[in-house]
Amino acid sequence: MTAAMLPPLPVALPMLIAAVLLTLAHVWPRRVPDTIAALTALAVTSIGLLLLLRAAGGPITYWFGQWEPRDGVVLGISFQVDQVGAAMVTLIGILFTGSFVFAWGFFDEVHAVFHVLMLMFMAALSGFCLTHDLFNMFVWFEVMSVAAFALTAYRLEASALEAGLNFTVTNSLASFFMLAGIALIYSIGGTLDFSALAGVVGRSGGNPVILASFCLLLAGLLIKAAMVPFQLWLADAHALAPSPVCVIFSGAMVTLGLYGASKLAWQVFGSDPVIRAGAQHVMLAMGVASTIVGGVMCVTQRHVKRLLAFSTISHTGIMLIGCSIFTAQGQAGTVLYMLGHGLVKGALFMTAGILLATCGGIDEIGLRGLGRQIRPAGIAMAGGGLLLAGAPVGLMQHGTTLIETAAAAAGRGWVAGVMILGGALTGGAVLRVTGRIFLGLGALPGEEDRSPTEAEQEASDRPLWLMLTPCASLLALSLAAPSSVETFALRAITPFIGAPAASLQSPPAASSHDYLPWLTVMLALLIAAYDLSRQHLPGMLIAAADASFRPLHALLEAWHSGLVGDYVAWIVFGLALVAGCITWLAIV
Amino acid sequence: MIDLLPWLVTAWLMAVGLYGIVTSRNYVHLIGCLTVVQSATYVLLLAIGYRWNAGPPIFYDHPPGTPAVDPVVQALVLTDIVVGATVSALLLALALQLHKKKGSLDPEALRPMR
Amino acid sequence: MSVRFRLLLLIASTIILLPAVVVLALGMPAFGAHPLPYGDAINRDAPGQRHISNMVSAVNFDYRGFDTMGEEFMLVTAVTGAVMLLRGTRGESPGAEPEEVPGRSVQPAGEAIVLICRLMLPVSLLFGIYVVLHATATPGGGFQGGVIIASAVLLLYLGDGYRVWRSIVRSRLLHLCEGGAAAAFVLTGLVPMLLGHAFLENILPTGQFRDMLAGWLMQIENLAVAFAVAGGFAMLFLEFLEETRAPKGEE
Repeated sequence: MTAAMLPPLPVALPMLIAAVLLTLAHVWPRRVPDTIAALTALAVTSIGLLLLLRAAGGPITYWFGQWEPRDGVVLGISFQVDQVGAAMVTLIGILFTGSFVFAWGFFDEVHAVFHVLMLMFMAALSGFCLTHDLFNMFVWFEVMSVAAFALTAYRLEASALEAGLNFTVTNSLASFFMLAGIALIYSIGGTLDFSALAGVVGRSGGNPVILASFCLLLAGLLIKAAMVPFQLWLADAHALAPSPVCVIFSGAMVTLGLYGASKLAWQVFGSDPVIRAGAQHVMLAMGVASTIVGGVMCVTQRHVKRLLAFSTISHTGIMLIGCSIFTAQGQAGTVLYMLGHGLVKGALFMTAGILLATCGGIDEIGLRGLGRQIRPAGIAMAGGGLLLAGAPVGLMQHGTTLIETAAAAAGRGWVAGVMILGGALTGGAVLRVTGRIFLGLGALPGEEDRSPTEAEQEASDRPLWLMLTPCASLLALSLAAPSSVETFALRAITPFIGAPAASLQSPPAASSHDYLPWLTVMLALLIAAYDLSRQHLPGMLIAAADASFRPLHALLEAWHSGLVGDYVAWIVFGLALVAGCITWLAIV
Repeated sequence: MIDLLPWLVTAWLMAVGLYGIVTSRNYVHLIGCLTVVQSATYVLLLAIGYRWNAGPPIFYDHPPGTPAVDPVVQALVLTDIVVGATVSALLLALALQLHKKKGSLDPEALRPMR
Repeated sequence: MSVRFRLLLLIASTIILLPAVVVLALGMPAFGAHPLPYGDAINRDAPGQRHISNMVSAVNFDYRGFDTMGEEFMLVTAVTGAVMLLRGTRGESPGAEPEEVPGRSVQPAGEAIVLICRLMLPVSLLFGIYVVLHATATPGGGFQGGVIIASAVLLLYLGDGYRVWRSIVRSRLLHLCEGGAAAAFVLTGLVPMLLGHAFLENILPTGQFRDMLAGWLMQIENLAVAFAVAGGFAMLFLEFLEETRAPKGEE
């Protein structure tokens, strides 16, 4: 083994292990698949770290089958490992390690099947991060989708099945859009390699086929990233999938849709001015809409996992805003935000899973005060809520700072307001849940407040410390970010965006908006306090607030109807909006 | 006109498939519509790799060097077909379980509880 | 939201998309007459470099073999997922009888059907194997052949009925087939790498042009795909047919 062999391993290793586990699915003793899977995830984490170190000197290109380009024609498939991709692989490894430990003993009855699916999921996510070939990207996109579809419906309850069906239909459409986009650009360029395609885009700028190809690819990837108006599938799938799977969905899968979109926008289509302008507008509009819609929906939920799902939409919206700035700084901030959000959201879904396992429910009102026995989980959840709200520590905060500075430099300082709103709403919602479940705050539930959802419970014979350890570790990792991480991200981003090293910017001075994080945290605490102390507030105030808020809430709730026909109609509409915007910019 | 036909067929298949999904009242029908949308991608890929007066990219009966269509898109379509088969199998399994649980396959009638 | 609203949304989208589609169709490269540099390069080089005559297989198992690895695992993942979803509530019991629904008579297969199925089974199997083995020379390959083999086994069910089918086709064997083949495919990538070459590099001799077994490493990958596809599809048939068996106990 030498270091040159590293790039294929994050994909090949979990695949080999998955195949071996499947081959002997019936013979494994009880804890063996758990152990093997967790060790594999740990191995992927270390491979990711090694790649991160080795890619410091510049991206590593690895040609499969030794098919290096000959006479300018790219014959094979390559991985290109830059530090951003390696960091994403590391994140995936960490999340899967945590998830496997958290799920220890969860999936005994299906033998090793759960582990096989999860390992395949991990291989696909890693492949998606590292690949430098458009069709190969589609293949990993599809493998990750297929694994995710099956895992969503694991509980086999009617609602989980329907969520799985809707998830499968919408995300299959995403992959068909992507494939159509790949076919279109292949018809012009006759190649599938990112670098070669970038050359094609540079030569035939403004070609309508290339514009259409970008629209389809962007729509496909943003469906996966669940951005308004493509977001409808996400809440159902996240609310009903088993919690260890949600950790991956929210922490990695959704984010990777965005990662793929920005990778293509920079590395393939970056040289086309029309596409660049179009992508900026589309991404900004969708990002702002997602941040607000996700935040508002989040704060009105009582099913804790559904609430967390909407907060994922909101935070992915913030990342999309970061992508839309199209500067090194904005992109570096987005990457940091992705890493931090993945860790925090993974930890939060684990606390939701702890509630499901120990308290036998997931309804915020129904669980009021029941979390007192598991106080450590409450501390973890409060910590996660504060981080979501934008407490000035950790990876997410470094990302936020970079995005806000980049936006201000691009003349769009107002997006900081949107980001504060998103953070305050989602953080406030999580803090409210913590207060109600773990401290018993808020009004006593009446008879009419009984949970409208079906009873849920996840395997309850797992020790609490085993579930808390990965949760606390993820939070600790997201906090353990040295202040030099911004400089590091800015350096790492240059190969990702294909910029010459000369355009390197220095990290922003930290003192520019010192009060901002505290403002968001205060807002979040206010939102949580408002909901928890309703019964003590003057009735007039409550009535006025409800009356002004209810129509918006009713409209948004009706939008998330759970009907696949609606979802697909909105997907088509979203595609039309993306295409319309880019066509308009091409004409003007 | 014949030059435009493959592209128009692609767009048409995609449009009718999407229309079918949006208005469908039965999940099995809906899965069928999804495969129609997917057929659009087959048509598109194969049309892009086509070349007038060229043979198949298999040099068994005629020697290498004979004009042939693009083998790459055919390989891509093969992957696409596998995608179609796998997704259909999963969807049908889900639909079957759903029917067992709820006795219906109409999305409108199955509106999930919130 | 009502269906009418959805249709309005669709119409609005069509109004936006239709002109874009027209512009796109007019802007597409000339059908059948535009350059295809990638495909041409493979058509030109592969017969000499790899001594095989089926260019699609050359792409699938060599130039873009890594895609095929992903594709095979996609299939394995989907089959595993479908099995989990179908088996979840009922478990598995090879000895069970088919369910008899009141009002739907299950007639035993006629003698002619049984005979034809028994005759066709070996013929179809043979044809499947033929298609698998001729992957690199003529149109054929593991995917197509694997599906034919799995369908051939299904003739057992059609002719001899559920019980015979179920007593011969065992899920453990199919798991072994699927998982083992998938592992073998990864090993065709890993072994060259451990020997100091690139992942999936074709390091075996490539044989004679137009020979059935030309392109050695490709043959191994092809066989792996054939086993995985045959095992996977047979597994799907098995699980979907299990749905017809009589439920045991309270369910």
